[in-house]
Amino acid sequence: MHDLVLKGVSKSFGNTVAVEPIDLTFGKGQLTALLGPSGCGKTTLLRMLAGLEEPTIGQITLGGEDITFKRAHKRKFGMVFQSFALFPHYTVRENVAYSLTISGVAKDIAFAKADELLNTVQLGGFGDRRIGQLSGGQRQRVAIARALAQEPKVFLLDEPMSALDAKLREEMQVELRMLQQSLGITTIVVTHDQREAMTMADKIVVMSNGRVEQVAPPQEIYHKPANAFVADFIGKTNFFDGVFENGKVQIGQTILDCDAGFIEGSDIRVAIRPEQIYIDTAPDVNRISADVTFVRDLGPVQEYHLNSEIGPLIVEYAAGEDLANKPIMGQKTTVRLPPDALQVFPREPRP
Amino acid sequence: MNTASHDPRALLRKTAMTVLTTFIIVLCVAPFLLVLAISFGRKVEGAAWVWDFTFANYQRFFVGTLWPDEVTFLYLQQLSYSFYFALIASIFAVLTALPFTLTLSKLSRNAQAAWLVFIMSSLSLSEVFIVMGWDILLSNNSGLPKLFRETGLTQWLKDVGWFQTLRDWGLANPRNVKFKTSDFATVLTMSYLVWPYAVILLYPALSRLDPSLSEAARTMGAGRWTITRTVTLPSIRLPLLGTTLLLFVFLLGTYVAVTVFAAPHKQTVAVAIYSNVRGSNLNAPFGSAQAIMLLISASFCLYLGHLLNKKAEAP
Repeated sequence: MHDLVLKGVSKSFGNTVAVEPIDLTFGKGQLTALLGPSGCGKTTLLRMLAGLEEPTIGQITLGGEDITFKRAHKRKFGMVFQSFALFPHYTVRENVAYSLTISGVAKDIAFAKADELLNTVQLGGFGDRRIGQLSGGQRQRVAIARALAQEPKVFLLDEPMSALDAKLREEMQVELRMLQQSLGITTIVVTHDQREAMTMADKIVVMSNGRVEQVAPPQEIYHKPANAFVADFIGKTNFFDGVFENGKVQIGQTILDCDAGFIEGSDIRVAIRPEQIYIDTAPDVNRISADVTFVRDLGPVQEYHLNSEIGPLIVEYAAGEDLANKPIMGQKTTVRLPPDALQVFPREPRP
Repeated sequence: MNTASHDPRALLRKTAMTVLTTFIIVLCVAPFLLVLAISFGRKVEGAAWVWDFTFANYQRFFVGTLWPDEVTFLYLQQLSYSFYFALIASIFAVLTALPFTLTLSKLSRNAQAAWLVFIMSSLSLSEVFIVMGWDILLSNNSGLPKLFRETGLTQWLKDVGWFQTLRDWGLANPRNVKFKTSDFATVLTMSYLVWPYAVILLYPALSRLDPSLSEAARTMGAGRWTITRTVTLPSIRLPLLGTTLLLFVFLLGTYVAVTVFAAPHKQTVAVAIYSNVRGSNLNAPFGSAQAIMLLISASFCLYLGHLLNKKAEAP
């Protein structure tokens, strides 16, 4: 197995801890997304994997070989930078062939390989162009082709879509994923865009303040967030603060059933996804009254903003989903919060 | 009715442009035209010079006074020495300033500011003052040659056989090393004169150099030297060329350093101009013709640099 394994890897800059000790395994051939807000340590972690930063403590191994202090130019992981870092003084072909030409491969062989890679990223015929003559999307493809030229064991991408417009970003996410699957190369993508991570990754590593908050496949991250931070960072969530009493959740005067277990009297934070709340009048548990304050149709979903007895909440219905008696703005209604949809987390002040 | 003529701002702009144009004509164009006019004047032997319109001074510059009976290239040779010293000194200054500025651009902001202030303050030293310092440092009876002799370095050089090499290069007499007069001392002092300019001119380009370019090269297997050769230097080729060219043109006019350190037969056009215009020759027309030729040569070099820049910038 050629798993990339991190054991207790940490990085400090002076007194500032950028990455707290982390244990992670990046499976061979998998695409893993390092996801988190700006400054959470994901890029530092990626740079340690590339060999551009040395860990303060811990060990990095690839297929059992200790590569913790192996220099970047010896490690030769393919990397796509946020700015793409293409060499403006070279043509597209020379950029892609760079790793081959500096390692002594004959120019005609290196260029033939570069043209092959340019075809793979759908840029056949662009070899003679200068970098300045390419669009953002084309530059990204050149950066990907260049990083793949040396046939790396691990492929690293640092916010590869951030310089692209929204439409192109969506297209490139799919293209990149398809390319990764066809090559079967271990890939690690840094992103702060949860949609991007959900679209592309086999596994997501959610990070915050230099810590790993959760490591899981996208659906598990979405449906079973490990804590309130993950629930908040991934997708939309309604939050309510309350107390755990008699096996139930008490928010103000409202008592709700849930599938969680906590010490009696614990301060808790309750989360529920907008699409898991139902606007209906059927008799059931966890029913609360609410006023409709705002309604908007976003096309794929209809969004209802409500003011309920436990606080403001948002309910979403997908287009075509059956909703009898659609409420209108200003109308009084009742909503149902299924006990199994309530995510209950301890309410702890974050350091 | 023309409303623009009554607009106070337009009037102010027009006045400012007139003043500026007059200023440029009086301070820049007029002296140049005066030198150009004098260059066609005629020297009266044993006296001063008179206004005239003769190409004799230019003829003398290219082929000597005895043409067509005899051809001498003395003044062209002086021009070639101007180019020789200026070219080597400017390249040497840029080559030594480059690693320093590259290191400087990687320091903390405070350290960078402190170094830049220090380097800029050194610009306040005049050429005379700098040359005087180097004159003492390189003089045969004190400075480095004395240090070589006293520390036994001269004897060691003789013992290992390198002393003869220094003699072959004109950097030693039979007894000790000597730097005056020599091309080495001339180039060294001229490089020192323009070194702060080299740092200041290179600094903006190097501080803006995207570090991810060299990091990308590292991830593709490039070592330090390969990165310098294939990424850093090509990325800054335009600032490098521009800086070298600017220093070169600046050094074409060096007077004091060449007078003190260059061998008498390697004096430059700048020295000859002074000697004709203000020195013992009192031949202002020929000095002016030499000045015009130096100016044309410098302009040609700048144009050549411009062409190279355009070629390098071309996609």
